[in-house]
Amino acid sequence: MILAWLILILFVGGLAAWLADFVDPKLPRVVALIFLAVDGLLLLNVLGATPFTPADASGEWLAYLKADWMPRFEIYFQLGMDGLSWLMAILTVFLGIMATGAAWNEIHERAGFFYFNLLWTLAGVMGVFVALDLFLFFFFWEVMLIPMYLIIAIWGHENKNYAAMKFFIFTQVSGLLMLIGILAMAYFHYLQFGVFSFDYFALQNVQLAANTSLLVMLLFFVGFGTKLPTVPLHSWLPDAHSQAPTAGSVILAGILLKTGAYGLIRFTVPLFEDAARAFAPVAMTLAAVSILYCAKVAFAQTDLKRLIAYTSVSHMGFVTLGVFAWNEQAVQGAVMTMLAHGLSAAALFMLAGGLQHRIHTRNMEQMGGFWPRVPRMSVIALFFSIAALGMPGLGNFVGEFLALIGAFQISITLTAIAALGLILASVYSLWVLQKVFQGSYENDKVDDAALVDLSRQEMVFYFAMMAGLVWMGVYPGTFLNLSAMTLGSLF
Amino acid sequence: MQAIPFEQGLMLAAALFALGLIGVLTRRNVVFVLMCLEIMLNACGLAFVVSSARWQHADGQIMFLMILTLAAAEVAVGLGLIIQMFRKFQTVDINVLTQMRG
Amino acid sequence: METAITIQDLVPLLPVLVVTGVAVLAMLLIALKRNHTLIGATTIIGLGLALITAFLVLPFAGQQVTPLLMIDNFSLFFTIVILLAAGFIAVFSFPYLYHLKDEVEEYYLLLLIATIGALIMVSSNHFLSAFLGLETLSISLYAMIAYPLHSKEAVKFPVEASLKYLVLSAVSSALILFGIALLYAQTGSLQFTELAMTGGSVADGYFITALVLLFAGVGFKLSLAPFHMWTPDVYEGAPLPATMYLATVGKAAMMVLLLRFVVASQALSFHSVVVVIGCMAVLSILAGNLLALVQENLKRILAYSSIAHMGYLLIALIALDDASTRLGVEAISFYLIAYIVMSLGAFGVATVISSSEKEFDFVADYQGLFWREPWLALLLTAMLLSLAGIPLTVGFIGKFYVVLAGVEGSLWGLLLVLVVGSGISIYYYLRIVYRMLLQPQLDQAYREAGWDSIGSYAVLALLLALLLLLGVYPGFLMSIIEVVSVSI
Repeated sequence: MILAWLILILFVGGLAAWLADFVDPKLPRVVALIFLAVDGLLLLNVLGATPFTPADASGEWLAYLKADWMPRFEIYFQLGMDGLSWLMAILTVFLGIMATGAAWNEIHERAGFFYFNLLWTLAGVMGVFVALDLFLFFFFWEVMLIPMYLIIAIWGHENKNYAAMKFFIFTQVSGLLMLIGILAMAYFHYLQFGVFSFDYFALQNVQLAANTSLLVMLLFFVGFGTKLPTVPLHSWLPDAHSQAPTAGSVILAGILLKTGAYGLIRFTVPLFEDAARAFAPVAMTLAAVSILYCAKVAFAQTDLKRLIAYTSVSHMGFVTLGVFAWNEQAVQGAVMTMLAHGLSAAALFMLAGGLQHRIHTRNMEQMGGFWPRVPRMSVIALFFSIAALGMPGLGNFVGEFLALIGAFQISITLTAIAALGLILASVYSLWVLQKVFQGSYENDKVDDAALVDLSRQEMVFYFAMMAGLVWMGVYPGTFLNLSAMTLGSLF
Repeated sequence: MQAIPFEQGLMLAAALFALGLIGVLTRRNVVFVLMCLEIMLNACGLAFVVSSARWQHADGQIMFLMILTLAAAEVAVGLGLIIQMFRKFQTVDINVLTQMRG
Repeated sequence: METAITIQDLVPLLPVLVVTGVAVLAMLLIALKRNHTLIGATTIIGLGLALITAFLVLPFAGQQVTPLLMIDNFSLFFTIVILLAAGFIAVFSFPYLYHLKDEVEEYYLLLLIATIGALIMVSSNHFLSAFLGLETLSISLYAMIAYPLHSKEAVKFPVEASLKYLVLSAVSSALILFGIALLYAQTGSLQFTELAMTGGSVADGYFITALVLLFAGVGFKLSLAPFHMWTPDVYEGAPLPATMYLATVGKAAMMVLLLRFVVASQALSFHSVVVVIGCMAVLSILAGNLLALVQENLKRILAYSSIAHMGYLLIALIALDDASTRLGVEAISFYLIAYIVMSLGAFGVATVISSSEKEFDFVADYQGLFWREPWLALLLTAMLLSLAGIPLTVGFIGKFYVVLAGVEGSLWGLLLVLVVGSGISIYYYLRIVYRMLLQPQLDQAYREAGWDSIGSYAVLALLLALLLLLGVYPGFLMSIIEVVSVSI
């Protein structure tokens, strides 16, 4: 039951935040924070459970729930949480709190409705991370789109309509393709066993001819690859990220992208292991192209948020690389990269959003020499930039390093090419720092009075994320052990 | 008396039907359009009567009676509309019915 | 063949008889005293009574009443659906007509008669009754579309819409009739099932001509491309309640009739028929969605979107071709209910802010609705998202059914078209949603909600509840549909 509560609390919290708006417009953010905190506590509680194997499942699970939903098609309300799910869920709640912090002083207009959408997006994401019935999974997969669309379309920046629409159409079309894939699996199960099934464990028993398997896997890959995103399905992302409000960017980069990666690890490869292996050279090539191409494009951006968006695509390339290398080290690396990138990208978007909130521009041409004016912000930007470029001792390094080691066993050439991305990452990270914080300050370019340093309250949020990254970098065992719980049953 | 071959009756019905259809598509006067519709419906009726004769039972003839009723109802409503159309547009040319576009 | 009608035969016909009785009663009441409230209430209560009798006669299901009508679970199921939809439309019509400076009472009479036609259609398994039902529905619709004849604002549109509909509907009726005549000429029977029995033995050529004529006519009625030209004009020109009726009951009854025919006659065993229907599906999905992109009028957008939705339904219809299960029937049944709920809701929102004097049917009229009328905006958003097939709404489950039916029939190409079409459709649905999110610009004076619209708001709330309930927990409806689908 606890799993249903994890999701339900967020749905109810959204409604409560909306209603709170009618009492006092300052109340919704507090309500949202309280519900997120409760969700987080509940999640910590799950961690205390002893792993067990339910009767109709395989692998080890911390919590499991199966209830009737649509008996006609053998669709169940089936949720399960293991180590991987737990890591993703805690990332969701943590970044949800960060996003609330980012929106705290930024969203004043229709705040209640904003937090409603924020929490409903998170509820959908939470559902995605714990759903084991593929129909239920798809259901949550789509539920998170509409609130996210509204966040971009209502509170976004100058080109919000275009960005929101593009985001929605890309994810919806790719989602429908995935739906066809899911239904095809259910139908193949019907052909082989006489009943439809959307059960994750039952579908693993379906035997498919190599060609069919590859086609169905491709449908899944398009669905997840668009969300991830991987070149060439990535073009919605820079628009959506740069136009979304700060909290929206945090959620998008920190969590929504991870749902794609999670889908690859949880569903695509385990369900179609042979097809995935056959497809691996293509997927890994796409990953390497993502890493290099998007790093190069990032370098050419003048819009700060767009730049960070492209670096996200580049970093997610390591995740694709790791997943399709499909050995324990590589997938561990992918999971670590997901977590670490979740924090570092969220922090960078918050910094960019904070700057935009202060000086009303994202254009780096108008920035420069901010270090003496905003020393605290600059130091934090430095920290997260070097985290993003993969400095040892921080989480991103662990993730990318493991992913590369794992991939090295599969393809030396592609690993070597992908590793070049690390060099490019340092180039663009340092370039941004130089452009924005170094150099000479010209006070006629920006609104001088508005450029104030981070407040104590903001610092708290950044410190929390810094602590997370340091923990991942110095003692990754905490996280690796948890994900090993999932991965152990996959290899 | 020589019975009319079934195929020829059907052929005549088809020809009438085609004539009616062409009329509906080409005529610009709404009254003529209605008349052409009548021809189409009656062609169907003829086809039913011919087939009825082939099978030697009454189903087709009943169908023909129904078609007559339908055609009458259709024309009654149609003529009513044409009167309203004439009041509003002062013409029965079908080309004025192009107010809505998009 | 026993054709005499006994009392026992009449029992399963009770819902139809009650509606007929109410129509006669309403006519008499109009002759005695013209009172809008009285006639409106009589209509709504009468439809409610018919609904109750429909539930009462459920135990008598599975009875052939004369050779013309087959009252089975499936037809009773759709009898209930149609009566509900017609009742809702009557409720929506009441405030809309409240301010019409003309004689409004006969409108309800037309609505009742049209409903009789629709009820006959969903129960018929004989060409004669099918044809009679179809024409009863269509002829009443001509008059409903042209109803606000004397209204000053709506000067010319209703006449134009009605005449266009009349001419094209009559042409399609003639096509259907000629198709039936050719079938009759070959088989010597007007029963749907006859075709299945003789299908293999008679020369193919006639059958294919006949079936193509038949499907062309049906294509007109269901507004399938390439026979869809009339749809946007008629939707736009007709008064909102009539549009609503045409879009929901009119389409659903025709689709059910088509379904009964296809299942009983096994017409899909002719390969060329499948090809024709497949082409119509592809054209409808693409044309409907693409043409909707450039529309500025809500009614026209919904008209084009209905073309696309009917195209989706055809995919499920084709899936019936040599399928081992009745999944296609179930898919169409569920989708029709979903489609009725969301269309009624979308048109309903337009109806409650419009009156017969002034209709708000341009997208621009809805700008800023979210901040002016949050609940109505939320409702319309939910309906549009459902039309787009987004989860939490019934439209998603409908699409799930259609895709599943398509997968079962291995119709990969058609499914790809469906995906493309859905992708395009999101753009024009979300465009309306986005427009509602903007700041209010035009100071449109929507119709004030008086006592007369209480019913409309209640129905809207009910539709929203249905939309979400069937979207989140559709299990019970799925089970019902599974049961009733077996009976045809």
